[in-house]
Amino acid sequence: MTHLMTVLVLQLAVIIVFAKILGWVFQNKLKQPRVLGELTAGMIIGPYALGSIHIPALHGSLFPLPDTTLPVTPELYGFAIVASIILLFSAGLETDLPTFLKFSGKGSLVGLGGVILSFILGDLVTVLYFDDVLHFMDPKALFLGTLSTATSVGITARILSERRKMSSPEGVTILAAAVLDDVIGIILLAVVVGVVKVETSGDGIPWGEIGIIALKALGFWLISTVIGIIVAPKLAKNLKRFKSMDMISIISFGFALFLSGLSEMVGLAMIIGAYVIGLALSQTDVAHDTREKLLGIYNFFVPIFFTIMGMMVNFAAMKGVLVFGLIYTAAAFAGKIFGCGLPALLAGFNIKGSLRIGAGMLPRGEVTLIIAGIGLSSGVIGQDMFGVAIMTLLAASIIAPPYLIKTFQGGSGYSSKLKDKDPGDIHTIDLDFPGQKMADFIREKLLDGFRNEEFFVHKIDYNKQIYHIRKDEVLITLNQEDDKISINTSPENEAFVRLLMLEEVLDLKDFLSGLESMKSPDMMGADLLMGMFGVSSGTD
Amino acid sequence: MNLKKILNTNLVELELKGNSKQEIIENLLDILVKAGKVKDRSLALEAILEREAKMSTGIQQGVAIPHGKTDSVNELLACIGIRKDGVDFKALDGIPSKIFIMTLSPSTRSGPHVQFLADISRVLTSEGMREKLINSGTKEELISLVVKGHA
Repeated sequence: MTHLMTVLVLQLAVIIVFAKILGWVFQNKLKQPRVLGELTAGMIIGPYALGSIHIPALHGSLFPLPDTTLPVTPELYGFAIVASIILLFSAGLETDLPTFLKFSGKGSLVGLGGVILSFILGDLVTVLYFDDVLHFMDPKALFLGTLSTATSVGITARILSERRKMSSPEGVTILAAAVLDDVIGIILLAVVVGVVKVETSGDGIPWGEIGIIALKALGFWLISTVIGIIVAPKLAKNLKRFKSMDMISIISFGFALFLSGLSEMVGLAMIIGAYVIGLALSQTDVAHDTREKLLGIYNFFVPIFFTIMGMMVNFAAMKGVLVFGLIYTAAAFAGKIFGCGLPALLAGFNIKGSLRIGAGMLPRGEVTLIIAGIGLSSGVIGQDMFGVAIMTLLAASIIAPPYLIKTFQGGSGYSSKLKDKDPGDIHTIDLDFPGQKMADFIREKLLDGFRNEEFFVHKIDYNKQIYHIRKDEVLITLNQEDDKISINTSPENEAFVRLLMLEEVLDLKDFLSGLESMKSPDMMGADLLMGMFGVSSGTD
Repeated sequence: MNLKKILNTNLVELELKGNSKQEIIENLLDILVKAGKVKDRSLALEAILEREAKMSTGIQQGVAIPHGKTDSVNELLACIGIRKDGVDFKALDGIPSKIFIMTLSPSTRSGPHVQFLADISRVLTSEGMREKLINSGTKEELISLVVKGHA
């Protein structure tokens, strides 16, 4: 027991340090997502690489291969499970439900098209390639189909905002589609996990049972979401009595853990419960603070998750499936480019615009890894297919960004007949400040101003100051680059944005005159310094 | 935003009496006080004047939107007043103001308050519309002009 815990603690130490350092290198030096760095860290230190080196003091290696389906110990995997719950809980909290419901139109067509086509292609490719996969409903095929659906638009959002295309019709459509994509992907996962559990226990396709499972999954999802959305405001109100955001956020996370366990008990994947709770709380006024408060444990646990996922990559097992991996990756790409592109074409974009949207939906990330991890731990897919999932993820991360940048060159992506009401007519309001600290301060004030007007403020990227500000059909983006703040808005809302900015800037006047009436900073500094040496200050 | 919900004939005055900025503001505030939803007139007045001191709300083209945030109201209140002769509201463009829209919003409660001001100001961007408003014969006519202009 003691030895077990000693090893666990040492493992965590190595994981955290490596994950953080490689994550930093990838992000800052290689200009790649941090996730890839953490994943690579796992591959390097994992049981199939350096982790297998014998260390005499441990009487074995640091990451020995246990006799289970997973190449890491159950204790360590427990951390990955908690991490995946945090990840999906946060994803749920970030979901902009009103936008999902109202922005729908083009976005949902595009999202739905991408999910359906990539699921079918991913599944079919598996059936056609492997002799032992007999039909479309084979668990392995279903799982690879699901794996192929997940999109992670974090990368897209970053590129679009850097190129100031976030508020373009394509940008808005991609982000709306991505919300739907997440929700459908997770429901799909719920159904597939359920179906797979029934199928692996018998022969043939138990259609009746599959139907029941699918209904149960959908039912659980729908009912818990609806109950969640109804109960969440009351819950938030009661939690507020504690008058402590720490209490509120951690107790909410407790609920997420609870519902995760519950969903596993009814035969769904744990992360579904976590996502549902997050989604329900996303509409309450504690959502923003809860996310902020959870950032600490998020930053601790989530890199551990990605690193553990990287550790599970068995290079030897991947050799045999390299060809399949390439075919599967191509199918996954085609699923998104055509699955999202065709509906976009029907919705009024021209070929250029449709290709942009398809390209924007290519990147994959967290959800792919979570699904792959669930598949591996439940034994539905082996290490070879897990490797294929990682291959697709890496290929998407390397190919998608330059491709996306290339597609976005050139003119409008809207077909000519719709140009009159081209929502791409975006006005930009720029403000320059004397320094970054000042700009930071004003940005927070502006965001608070929008929140006071009951807008939903959503930070697009953890590392950059890019925000989506939404209410109903209105979408405003705020972008801060060092000491410059720029706000993009449609012409109809420009008056409102200008007025709001004006009010906030005028408020600053109060703040400044307050500062002036304060004791001069020199004096205060002198006071502080004197106190340091125990001399009572002579000034009053 | 539903302007109809916020505006009614009790909240419109076609002939304001005031001859100065201060008087016009008091005229408008009295309309809101009469409607019975302002808990403390002097606190409300202070909030409006304080905002006015920072920068005149005489926006442009004879339109002024005096407003303030105060705890003496529980919800967004608004009224519209016309002063055909125009009053010097220290507007940015120096043109005397003829159309006044006053709003009071609770300082601690969130809501589309600035958005309301922006929406209603947008109605007034066309000169024809401003002319029509100033010359409207009845309070009903004025309200329907604003509501239609917004739609």
